[in-house]
Amino acid sequence: MENPYIPMPMNVVQITTEVDTNDIKTFRLTFVNPEDEKKFKYLPGQFGELSIFGKGESPIGIASSPTDPGYVEFTVQRTGTLVGGLVTTALHDLEEGAQIGLRGPLGNSWPIDFLAGKNVVVVGGGFAFTTLRSLINYMIHPENRKRFGDITVVYGARTPGLLLYKDEMAAWQKRKDLVMHVTVDRGDANWKGREGFVPTVCKEVAPSAKNAVTVICGPPIMIKFTLPVFFDLGFSRENILTSLEMRMKCGIGKCGRCNVGNKYVCKDGPVFSLAQLEQLPRDY
Amino acid sequence: MTAFKKIEDNLRKEAKSLLESGKVTLVLAYAGGFDEKHPVPYVAKAAADADRLVFNEYCTHNMARYLTRYPKGTRIAVAVKGADSRAVVQLIQEGKVRRDDLVILGIPAAGMKNQKTGEIIDTRTTGSAINPVIHDILLGDEIHGVKAGSPYDVLAELEGMDKDARWAFWKKEFEKCIRCYACRKACPMCYCDPCFMDASRPRWADKSPTGDGTLMYHLTRFYHLAGRCIDCGECSRACPVDIPLYLFHKEVAKECEVMFGQAAGMNIEDKPAMANYKGEDSDQMLGS
Amino acid sequence: MLKKIAIDQFSELVKALLEQGLLYAPVKGTDGVNFRAIQNPADVTLDYYNTVLSPKAVFFPQSEDLIRYRIKKDTPEAQPVPLENRPAVILGVRPCDVRSFEIMDRHFLGAGVIDPYWKSKRDSTTVIGFAFDVNAAADPADFYNTFGYGAADPEGSDVFMIRADGNLLLRGMTDRGEKLLASLGCLQAGDARDEKAFDETVKKGKAVRTRSAEINDKEIAKKLVDIFDNGEFWQKVTMACIACGACTFVCPTCYCFDISDETLFKEGARKRFWDACTFTDFTLEASGHNPRPRIFQRYRQKVCHKYSYHVDKYGCISCVGCGRCIRSCPVNIDIFGIVVEAGKL
Repeated sequence: MENPYIPMPMNVVQITTEVDTNDIKTFRLTFVNPEDEKKFKYLPGQFGELSIFGKGESPIGIASSPTDPGYVEFTVQRTGTLVGGLVTTALHDLEEGAQIGLRGPLGNSWPIDFLAGKNVVVVGGGFAFTTLRSLINYMIHPENRKRFGDITVVYGARTPGLLLYKDEMAAWQKRKDLVMHVTVDRGDANWKGREGFVPTVCKEVAPSAKNAVTVICGPPIMIKFTLPVFFDLGFSRENILTSLEMRMKCGIGKCGRCNVGNKYVCKDGPVFSLAQLEQLPRDY
Repeated sequence: MTAFKKIEDNLRKEAKSLLESGKVTLVLAYAGGFDEKHPVPYVAKAAADADRLVFNEYCTHNMARYLTRYPKGTRIAVAVKGADSRAVVQLIQEGKVRRDDLVILGIPAAGMKNQKTGEIIDTRTTGSAINPVIHDILLGDEIHGVKAGSPYDVLAELEGMDKDARWAFWKKEFEKCIRCYACRKACPMCYCDPCFMDASRPRWADKSPTGDGTLMYHLTRFYHLAGRCIDCGECSRACPVDIPLYLFHKEVAKECEVMFGQAAGMNIEDKPAMANYKGEDSDQMLGS
Repeated sequence: MLKKIAIDQFSELVKALLEQGLLYAPVKGTDGVNFRAIQNPADVTLDYYNTVLSPKAVFFPQSEDLIRYRIKKDTPEAQPVPLENRPAVILGVRPCDVRSFEIMDRHFLGAGVIDPYWKSKRDSTTVIGFAFDVNAAADPADFYNTFGYGAADPEGSDVFMIRADGNLLLRGMTDRGEKLLASLGCLQAGDARDEKAFDETVKKGKAVRTRSAEINDKEIAKKLVDIFDNGEFWQKVTMACIACGACTFVCPTCYCFDISDETLFKEGARKRFWDACTFTDFTLEASGHNPRPRIFQRYRQKVCHKYSYHVDKYGCISCVGCGRCIRSCPVNIDIFGIVVEAGKL
C-alpha cells in the first residue's frame, strides 16, 4: 500500500542566499531514488513538505518550474523572530551535500488550462513570489510560450536587497516575450529602478481586463490594496487567483488542520480564485 | 443543610440589581444545562439574563477561572464558593484582577456533589473552606460547626508508601492521561499565555501521550502551582479519565504551608509564597 | 447464522477470540470502562453503558509512530514503521459507535487519498457490535435517535451481540462475521426462539428514546454557513467553553491529528497523535498570525466542521449522538442543544 506520509530522500545540491538579511534561501534538491524522480510530476503552484528527521516538516511552495529538468527548488524563509522556527532554522543550518526528505507534489496548481489562451498578469510581493516564479518560468519556456497571451509581471519588495531571484529577474527584464515591472518600497544608493508600492505600480501599468487573468501572491496588506485596483480595472472575481496560506501538517487533507469551510487548503487549494475564497467563511 | 433554593433566589436578585444599577457589566455564575445535574458556567450581561441563573449542589465549577478572560477595569460580579473565593484572593495577590473591579458574591456551601458520581464533595478532594474567605455579598448563611477534617488527611495512604510504590502509583495513573489539558484549562491559576506546553523552541515536553511528555507536563504543572493551588479540585473533576490530580496538588500545598507558613489564597495582603521571601522561611533543601 | 452462549460462559468466548489474534474489549479501570487490548479474559466487562473514550483508538491510536529515526552526524537513519496487518476483533461496540467507523472510513479512505494506517487496521479487524440494554433508559446526554439510530441496530457490525435471558445471542451480519462465528467452537447454534428474541430486541431497541431533533443534513449545513458571522450567537453558546480537548478526544468521529518528531538524545520517531481544533494554537501560523485566536471561533469551527463542512465533503454529519462529549465536558457544553438552537435561527 502506498504510504503518503513517508518522505522521499533528496540531496541538497545547492543553497543560494536570496536576500541581504540572509533569512531566505533557495534549496536545489535532486532525487536519491530515480523511481521517485520519475513519479514526481508537478505543475506551478503546488507545494511539498520538506522533512528533516528530528525536527519535523514544513510545507513550502515549489519554486522551480517542471520545465527545469533534474532538480526541484524550494525557497524557504527562516521564520520566527527572536527564536527561529524549528524546521526552517534546521533547513537554514544545512550545508550542501546534506540529505533531507520531501513529500509531494501536494495541493492543486495554478490552473494552466484556465490560463491558456489568455493574458496573464502576475503580481507578487516580497517572499510570496516563489510559486509565481515557477509559473513564469513554465509559461515562458519555449514549449509553452505559445499557449499564453501577453505576460505582465509586477514584483515588489521592501528594499532592493530583499528582492528574490535577482539574476533571473535581470534576465527576464531583457526578454521581449514578457513585460517585467520590478519595484521597491524604498530604494538605496545603487538602485536605479522603480520606487513605489505594488498596488500603485499595478494601477500605473493598468493591464486590460479583456481576456486576462491575474495571479496575485503577497502579504495580506499588499493583497488588501491590490485587489481594489484590479476590481477597478474590471477583472472579475473568477479571474483573480491567489494562493492561500494556512497552518498545515499532513498536506494530504487528512489531519484537518488546514480546514476552512468545506475545503482543505492543502488539497482543494492552496490555489483559489477570489470567487471561491469569498464562498469560504472568513476563517483564515 | 445548605439552602440551595434560597441561594439561587438571592443570586438572581443580587445579579439583577447589580446589572440594572450598572455596578457591574458582567455576572459570572451558573445557568441551567441540558438537565439539572449539568449546570453550565454562565455570563449574565443584561438584567434579564439574571432570570436564567441557577444554583444547586451540582454547581461545582470554579467561576474564578473566567476572571482572567477580561481586561482589568471590567466590573465583574463573581459567584464563588469556599475554595473558589480563595482563587479570587490568589488572583488578586498575583495582580491578575483588581479587588475594586469585583463584587464578590459569596456562597457558603456544604454538600456539593460530583456531577459524574453523585458523591458528596468533601475535603478528600477539595479544600476545607466551606465559607468563602472573602465576599462583598453573602448569598446564604455562613455554615459553622461542620466537622470538615484536614484537607491533607487523604494523603495518609500515599505518604505511607515508599517512594518506589508512590512512583509506580503515579506512573500508572498518568498512563491514563489523554493530554486533553482539561485540567490546565479548568484551573483558575493556569492563565499563562502561552503556556510552556505551547513552546516549540525549546520543546519542554513532547506533545504525544507516549514517552515522557505526559509526566513532564503534569510534574511541571504541579510545581508551577506550588503555593498557588487553592484546592478547588476542578482539575480532577474535569479530567475525563479520573486521574486523582488533587492528591499531588494537596501534597505540594501541604509542603508549602509547612515551609512558608502560608496557605494559598487566604488573604489579599499576602504575597504569593513562591514570589516572596521572608526572613523566617525554611532553608531546608530538597530531599532532607 | 445465529449463535449463542450462556452469559456465565462468556469468558470461554473471550478465550476463543484471544486465540485468533488481537482482541479489543471494554475493561473497567480507574478511568471508567474503556476499550483495551486484552491479555486476561477476566478483564473484559459487559457491565457498562458506554465507554468513556470511543473505540476509534483501535483503528486510529492516540499516538502512532510513522517513522523511526536515529540522528547521525550527516544523514539520519530512518525507517518507516511497518503497517499493522494483524487479525483483530473488537468486541462490545455500541450501535452508534459502529456507525462512527463508517463515517471515519469516508474520511480516511476517501477524497482520493487512502490513509494506509487506518486502512490496514480496519481491513484486518472484525467488529462485534453490542446492543444497549433495551429495557433501560438511554443516558440523558445521548441523542443518537436524531440520526435514525436505534439502541439495538445490528447494521454495520460484522457480528451483532444481544443479551437475552441469560444468553448472549450473536448474529453474523457480514461474510467476515459469519466466518468468525463459524470458527468459534464454544458457541451453540441459536434456535427459532433465539431468532425471535434477537429480532424482538432489535425492535425494542428502536423504541428506546434518546433526545432527538429533526435535523436535515443539507439544511443544517447551509444554515450554519449562513449564521457563521453571527458573533452574538456563537459567543453566547460558547461562553462556558474552556478550550480543552476533552470533547474532541472522546469523540468517535473527530479525526484531527498533529505530526511531530519526538527525539530522546539521538533516537526518535515521527509520530502522529490526536489534536483538537479547540486548542489555542491549532491554527497558529509561524508568522504569529492565528486565524482563530478566540474560543468562540474555535468552537464554531468544531460545530461547523461536524454539521456543515463534513456534509459538503463526505455527504453526512460527522456525529453519531453518542453523548460522550457532553458527559466528558468539564463545563457541560451540549453540542446537541447548540445545533438545535442554530437550526432555529
